[in-house]
Amino acid sequence: MKLSDREQDGVVILEPKGKIMGGPDASLLHEKLHECIELDKKQVVIDLSKVDWMNSTGLGILISSYTTLRNNGGMLKLANVTEKIQSLLTITKLVTVFEAYDSVDDAIASFK
Amino acid sequence: MDKPAISGNTITVPSDLNYLVDVDNFVEGFLREWGLDDSVVADIAISVSELVNNAVEHGSATKTSPDDDRAVKVTVGKVANSVKISVTDQGSGFDPTEIDDPLAEENLLKAAGRGIFIVRNLMDEVDIKTTPEGTVVTITKNL
Repeated sequence: MKLSDREQDGVVILEPKGKIMGGPDASLLHEKLHECIELDKKQVVIDLSKVDWMNSTGLGILISSYTTLRNNGGMLKLANVTEKIQSLLTITKLVTVFEAYDSVDDAIASFK
Repeated sequence: MDKPAISGNTITVPSDLNYLVDVDNFVEGFLREWGLDDSVVADIAISVSELVNNAVEHGSATKTSPDDDRAVKVTVGKVANSVKISVTDQGSGFDPTEIDDPLAEENLLKAAGRGIFIVRNLMDEVDIKTTPEGTVVTITKNL
């Protein structure tokens, strides 16, 4: 997995790319998130459009990111959830936890 | 062993998550060669990654010393209208009935504990056998 990030309207947008399956690269997301919290940037959108698939480790990263941000007064939202990831969120009932938007712009607008 | 070894339709890797990518590349190579569509390939690849994660976790947890050289073996096969893949570790195994229900309200925000649940949802059959030598999980996806 590769990870890039940018900022728009005070919201951090994280863009993982590839497969989120565990192993060393999966910790990239978590480390980046902690970096955001340390910099007091607590409104975060994860753009999933370039993620081929993720497994339970990937879902675990999303959950721990969500709870870490929430416990620090922030919020994590998802954008561009692919069909495969949506299916995993549905069967695991995590669809009830995450706010998901059809585009990054919609997700950013939801913070206002 | 200190690097992946491939023999026919089997890959054996050190019990270390650094080798997940090698297993994924190996398995996906066969699935693509067989012309499976992207969705089926993803379902199988996700399931294999779950099983290898578990195998490493259980295998590594039972290491007897830092030099303990445990490995995970993955064998891929296609029979008629189904794909069958087995993942073998050298750990002490686990009891799937002891895993907490990941859909229970109190477990929903737990970061772990969904692996086998996801595999059961994506695959048509999941068979778990624990032997004195380790655990063999065989998954079947009907095409």
